Amino acid sequence: MRVFNVLGIFFYAGVIILIGVGFIALSFNLLLPEHVNYLYYYMQDNPLNKWAVRLSGLLLIIISYSFAQLILGRMQREKTIAFTTASGEVTIALSAIEDLIKYASNIMPEIRDLSPDVIASKKGIIVTLRVALRSEANLPELTARLQEITKSKIQEVLGIEEAIIIRIHISKIVSREEKDKRRKDALKDEPSIPFGGFGRV
Amino acid sequence: MVFGDEVQSNLGCIKIYKSAIAAVAAIAAMEVEGVKSVSRGAVIRFLELMGAKITKIRIEIDHNSNVSIEVPLIVKYGYHVPEVANKVQENIRQAVEKSTNLSVKNVDISIKSIERSG
Repeated sequence: MRVFNVLGIFFYAGVIILIGVGFIALSFNLLLPEHVNYLYYYMQDNPLNKWAVRLSGLLLIIISYSFAQLILGRMQREKTIAFTTASGEVTIALSAIEDLIKYASNIMPEIRDLSPDVIASKKGIIVTLRVALRSEANLPELTARLQEITKSKIQEVLGIEEAIIIRIHISKIVSREEKDKRRKDALKDEPSIPFGGFGRV
Repeated sequence: MVFGDEVQSNLGCIKIYKSAIAAVAAIAAMEVEGVKSVSRGAVIRFLELMGAKITKIRIEIDHNSNVSIEVPLIVKYGYHVPEVANKVQENIRQAVEKSTNLSVKNVDISIKSIERSG
């Protein structure tokens, strides 16, 4: 089935490229209606060609179906961590832990953007944080604080006793000066409202 | 609609739908502090807008009339999740047993998301 999935990816990429090339060819008069007609008659010409077209159609349907299964399967495969209580089982979606980390990191003004990825493995819970920071941040101090906050928040809110490994990947550092300059430029460009200052009490 | 259980009284039989049990469970879950909502997918929300009454709470009833309930939840940020889950399980058990006289075997909770209140 894996072969079909790979074929599916190539198939969709190929179809999209073909459509693009077809449009370009049409705009340059490289593809004429006679060419399309010729192809159509060639396919209908003899029983062997007809069978080839039929089998190609069937193969395309199988590839498409397999590809759809792959995409839907990935969407549905929701990973969780679970524990049992007296009344039944409680499962927590890993995406819920990701939400929790996002909220917990909001208290740190140095963080501009954060995208967490949580994996549950035999070693414990592995949290990978991709962070975009503001330039004035002290990296060793900030990352240590972020690790501490994330770990304590997960333990506090979810009551998890497993080991929590937190990996931080700093993907971007944004300069505040640059951002302020851009904002000032934007304000300069804004047209002023005539008599805007009048009439205020 | 799927029948949940049938109870025989002096005057006739009383049929309890699974959807009725699910509704009781949903109300009981929402009563617990820290629960933001009973999670529903986009398709279900759309069908509800069209007027259909659907809950994503799963109800299973075995031949001994024991009920198993599976509830997807969204919890408010800042609450201790296991504590909220425990309270929900207890509240649902009590509410379903009180309303339907059926015995609740287990209440499984799945936390789908954590969201800020408001």
